[in-house]
Amino acid sequence: MSGLLNLSGVSVHFSGLKALTDVSFSANAGEVTALIGPNGAGKTTLFNVVSGYVQPTAGEIHFKGEAIQGLTPHEVSEKGVRRTFQNGGLFGDMTVLENILTGLHVQINSNFWGLLFGTRKADEAERAAAARARRLLALMDMDGFADQQVKSLSGGQQRMVEIVRTIATEPPLLLLDEPAVGLSPPMRARMMEVIKRLAGEEGISILLIEHAIDLVMAGSDRIIVLNSGQKIAEGKPAEIRENREVLEAYLGYA
Amino acid sequence: MNQETPQKKRPLSQNGRIFYLVPLAAALIPFFANDYLQFIVNMIMVYVLVTVGFNLVIGNLGQLAFANTAFFGIGAYMTAILMTYAGFTYELALVGAAISGGLAGLLASVTALRGIRLYYLAIITLAFGELMRWVYIHAEPVTMGTDGLPLPDVTVFGMSMHSETAKFYVFLLITVLVVKGTSNLLKSRVGRAILAIRDNELTTASLGISTANYIILTFVWSGSVVGIAGAMFAASTERVFPESFGLTEVIVHFAMVMVGGAGSLIGSVIGGVVLTALPEYFRQFPGMEELFFGAIIIAVLLFLPKGLVSLLAKVSPLFRERYFRE
Ligand SMILES: Nc1ncnc2c1ncn2[C@@H]1O[C@H](COP(=O)(O)OP(=O)(O)OP(=O)(O)O)[C@@H](O)[C@H]1O
Ligand SMILES: [Mg+2]
Repeated sequence: MSGLLNLSGVSVHFSGLKALTDVSFSANAGEVTALIGPNGAGKTTLFNVVSGYVQPTAGEIHFKGEAIQGLTPHEVSEKGVRRTFQNGGLFGDMTVLENILTGLHVQINSNFWGLLFGTRKADEAERAAAARARRLLALMDMDGFADQQVKSLSGGQQRMVEIVRTIATEPPLLLLDEPAVGLSPPMRARMMEVIKRLAGEEGISILLIEHAIDLVMAGSDRIIVLNSGQKIAEGKPAEIRENREVLEAYLGYA
Repeated sequence: MNQETPQKKRPLSQNGRIFYLVPLAAALIPFFANDYLQFIVNMIMVYVLVTVGFNLVIGNLGQLAFANTAFFGIGAYMTAILMTYAGFTYELALVGAAISGGLAGLLASVTALRGIRLYYLAIITLAFGELMRWVYIHAEPVTMGTDGLPLPDVTVFGMSMHSETAKFYVFLLITVLVVKGTSNLLKSRVGRAILAIRDNELTTASLGISTANYIILTFVWSGSVVGIAGAMFAASTERVFPESFGLTEVIVHFAMVMVGGAGSLIGSVIGGVVLTALPEYFRQFPGMEELFFGAIIIAVLLFLPKGLVSLLAKVSPLFRERYFRE
């Protein structure tokens, strides 16, 4: 068990349907690990099982050497594994800034009584958080949208906000489910750039689900290929590009 | 991680200050009002806090928990009991009412935490209120049953609170402090967490926020605020009866929340004021009180689903609260 995240023999069955069968792999610290595979291959299910939303039928999951299978989503999140959702998990009643501030929640240094009495310390903690939220938004050129309702943003912009919000939690391991879906090509490139920078500079390790194969090839350190719930290959981008089975199962159409 | 210092001192809410004028203006009421009017104004403050507390659970947290009359009754009875049997002064009994209201809130939160939601939560919490009423009626040796439990002379810091004017100033101080404290909480990370839970509990948990803690906090704070309102109600009527805390009462509370605006603190204040003052006005036309009450609830729910505050928000940005969306 060398990696930051280790899966060994993980299976997930939904009343007969084998969504994942005996999947084992490791994701290393400081790297971008990509998860690819055709629709229905079990990628999102793998995220669900790692983040505690779905319980594994069999197998073990270790994060930083600690078993995390069977924990609740909140407990997994407290251990430092955070995720985004494939179909948007933004808080629709809030502005962009407030969404990011909710991501910063646990880092805001104020207690109940300070907040109740509106002490200067509590106020300053809120203001510092707001300033930090704006800087995080600027990372993605989203600072101009800070005070807009999230409902007024395009799908791609909402995705950006969701990623910024998850980054705001400063997770040791970030799970991104198709972050570039619905983005314009320049935004996609920018997204990949930010993801790489997060891994490189901020020390956030990333597990990424992505269909756009060019982005994956260019942006990840290692690739895991799933097909019908099974791992069929794993390796560096160059190795995956050469792999016959992958070419047939997944890239074959290209 | 946080070496950053705030760059600009941007006030979080630029427009809130003007609301301080409301209690300042209200402080002049005793110079104009007769005793009857003063009594109504005092009741208005009781119901403002009743609504503020209830709205936290219904509007902000979005849980259909109707234990509000239980909190209200427990606050009122606790005040009378502590003063009668334990010789507490009113200010101490008030603290006791806040704490016991909070504990009742904690109890109510257990149901929501155990995954009991929607209609089930509604029925169980309504039953909690009815159970408490049964207790007030049958714990006769302590509560004096349906005869009601009278309060001893109400004094605050040694001064008599018997006159409506004296009650008014004490109530005004309490109301301002509680509303301001609640406003502070709602504008902060606490308010955002509560709203995030209403919106999507699982996503909120995925951000490392302990959703259970905030559900408990909301119920406890709600129970305390309504418990305080109960203590004010007891001081105002000087005798507490079980019948004040029945099912009709919870309908009145709910109407105040909805008419003012679910999820809006300003809405709570408006709902408490309007639905306490107007029925009183309509009392001079016999039979009109109930009719009016029903009519305004139907009218607001049909034509202003976000309450009277949404009407004001259209007129002035002052009424656009940060975490309330028209
Ligand atoms: N909660 C569930 N209950 C039952 N079946 C499920 C559940 N979640 C996923 N599945 C099934 O498991 C299989 C894998 O789905 P999953 O969402 O993991 O695929 P995916 O690789 O993320 O696909 P896509 O690329 O389309 O997002 C599918 O057949 C799906 O219908
Ligand atoms: Mg998927």
